Amino acid sequence: MSRADPSTPSGLAGRLRGWGPAVAMAARNLRRNRVRTALAVLGVCIGVLAVAALGIFGNVLALGAQDAIGDIGTQVVVSPNADAGVESLSDADVADIRRAVGGPAVVPLHSDNAVVSGQSAQQFATIYGVEEPALAFEAAEGRLPERHRQGAIVGAGVAEDLGVGPGDTVGIGGAQVRVVAVLVESQTFSPVAPDDAVFLPESAFSADGYGRVLVVAESGEAARAAADDIRAEVNAREERVELFELVAIVDEINGFFGLLSTFLLGLGAISLVVAGVSILNVMLMSTVERRQEIGVMRAVGVTRRDVLRVLLAEAGLIGAAGAAAGTLLTVLLVAGLVVSTPEVDAALALDPTNGRYLLLALGFGVGVGLVSGAYPAWKAANERPVEALRS
Amino acid sequence: MYSLELRGATKRYPGGGAEPVVALDDVDFAVEPGEFVAVVGPSGSGKSTLLNVLGLLDDPTEGQRLLDGTDVTSLSVAQRTAARKESIGFVFQDFHLLPTLTAVENVALPTAFDPGDASDRAADLLSRFGLGDRLGHEPAELSGGQKQRVAIARSLINEPAVLLADEPTGNLDTETGESILAEFERVKEEGVAVVAVTHDPLVEGFADRVVELTDGVLVGGVPDGGERADEPRPGPETATAGDR
Repeated sequence: MSRADPSTPSGLAGRLRGWGPAVAMAARNLRRNRVRTALAVLGVCIGVLAVAALGIFGNVLALGAQDAIGDIGTQVVVSPNADAGVESLSDADVADIRRAVGGPAVVPLHSDNAVVSGQSAQQFATIYGVEEPALAFEAAEGRLPERHRQGAIVGAGVAEDLGVGPGDTVGIGGAQVRVVAVLVESQTFSPVAPDDAVFLPESAFSADGYGRVLVVAESGEAARAAADDIRAEVNAREERVELFELVAIVDEINGFFGLLSTFLLGLGAISLVVAGVSILNVMLMSTVERRQEIGVMRAVGVTRRDVLRVLLAEAGLIGAAGAAAGTLLTVLLVAGLVVSTPEVDAALALDPTNGRYLLLALGFGVGVGLVSGAYPAWKAANERPVEALRS
Repeated sequence: MYSLELRGATKRYPGGGAEPVVALDDVDFAVEPGEFVAVVGPSGSGKSTLLNVLGLLDDPTEGQRLLDGTDVTSLSVAQRTAARKESIGFVFQDFHLLPTLTAVENVALPTAFDPGDASDRAADLLSRFGLGDRLGHEPAELSGGQKQRVAIARSLINEPAVLLADEPTGNLDTETGESILAEFERVKEEGVAVVAVTHDPLVEGFADRVVELTDGVLVGGVPDGGERADEPRPGPETATAGDR
C-alpha cells in the first residue's frame, strides 16, 4: 500500500502540492453555472470597491487636511505664566529653554502694541522685537536678515492693509522705519499671529523681558519632545512658563480623520459582509446540488482534505476574482475622479498610502471568500459518502 | 486468502421505534480473487448495506471485516478512505461520473490529488475498454454504455483487489448490459474479485456464484457453501496472495 501513503511528501511542497489540481477542478466547477458565479463575483467586487474607495476617500480627506494644516505642528509657543506671577521671560529663562530643547531653534520675542501707519492708512498692530527672524519666518518680498539690526519686517496682513512693501516706510509710535521685508501669509492659527504684526530689531525695545519665546522644530515629533523637555526642565520647580503646542491640535485633527476613515471603512465592510453571505449562499447551494458528486469523490478515495481544498478553492477564486475586479474598478474610479474634478489634488489621490487601502480591500475580498466558503466546504467534505450517495 | 471477507457481520440502524432495524444479520461472506459473485434479493433486503459495508463506506455494528486478510473492521475515516482508494473499485448504477471532467480525467479522479500524472494509465484503461477515441469527451457526450465503461476504468485505476458494482446494468439496455458484463469477465480474469448487487437476471448468468440476501440473512455467502472460515484457507489463490 505504498502508492497511497499520504505521509511520503512532507513539508511545504507536499502541502502545496494538492492545491494545483484542486484549483483547476474548482475553476471548472465555477464555469458550470456562470451566471451564479458571475453574480457572486460581482457581489465581492462591489464590496471591495466600497472598502477601497471609501478607504481612499477618507485617506485623501485626511491627507488634504494635513496639507492645509501645514507645519504648524512644528512650533511651540512659550509664554510667561501670569498665574504664577511671571510677567515676562528673562534672558536666563531663554537660556534655560535653549538648554532644555537642544536642537530646535529658539526665537525669543519682545512684544508690544502700537499704531502702525502707512501712506494713507493706519492700524493697530502687535510689535515684536526679534533678533533672528529667519529662524521662524519666511519672507514673501524682500529678504529676512540673519541678524535683525534695522528696519521693519511687516506681516502679510499689515502690509496689505497699509499698502506697503519693501523700500516703503511705515510710522511706528511716531518713528519712521523702512520696510525691509514682507512675510509670507501664515496658513494657520498661532498665538503669535505674525500676519497682523510688525517685527523690529530687539534694540527698539527698552524692556528686558521677552513676551514670548518661539521654539521651531523640524517635525511635529520634535516639537512634542521639545515641549516635554521644557515642561520637565524649565517648569521643574515652579510653573514659570505656559506652553501652547500646535501639535496637540494637529493630533486632534488627525484623530478625527482617523475616526472618519475607520467609519468609512466600516461602511464599506458592511457591503463586503453582504458579499460574503452571498458566497456562503452560492457555495451551500452548489454543495447541496453536487452532494452525490462529492460522495463519489469520497467513495473512490479522494480524501476529505482534498474535497475541502476543491471547495475552498472555489470560494477563494470567487473572492479573488471579485477582489481583483473591485480593485481595478477602484483605480479607474479614482483616476476618473482626478481627471474630471479639478478640486481633487492629483498628488493626494496618487499618495502611496492609498495603496494600503487597495491592498487591504484586495486582501479582504479574498479573505471573505475563504471565510464564507469554509463552512460549506467543511460540511460537504465531512458528509459520510454513504449518505451523500444515497440521495 | 479471500480478497474481501465478512465474518458474522451485523448492521443495525436505529429505527423509528424501540427496535433497531437489522439490515444485515450475522452475515458470512467471502469472495476470492478472480471470482464474480452476484448478490440478489428483493428490495429492502439489505443489498446496499452489504455493499456499503463491503466497500468500507459503512462499518458493521458487529462482526469482522477483512481485506486481503487484514482486519479492516474499524478504521479511522482517513484510513478507510486510503483503503478504498487502494483496494476497492466502485461501479454505480448511475455511473456517477463528474460532468466537468473528461473521460480520462474521470478515470484518473482517484489519483487526481496525488503526485505524478495518471493520465497515461487512464488512457490505456479507456483504450482497453474500447474508448480510445473518446478520451477527451465529457460524460454528456457519451452513451450510457460508454459512461459505464469509463466508470469501470475509473474503478480499476488503482489496481484494486475488489470491484463492487451496484446494479451495474440497471440503466442500460440488454445488449449494452451484456457488453458491460463481458467487461466484468475480463476484469475478473485479471484476478480482481467482482461483487455485483443486482436485480438483473442477466448478471446472474455471468456470475460464478449467486448468493441471496433476504431480510438481512445471506445464504451461500462463502465459496463451496463452506463453514465460516476462521483461518485463511489454502487454495489455488495463495500463490498470488503474497503480492499484496
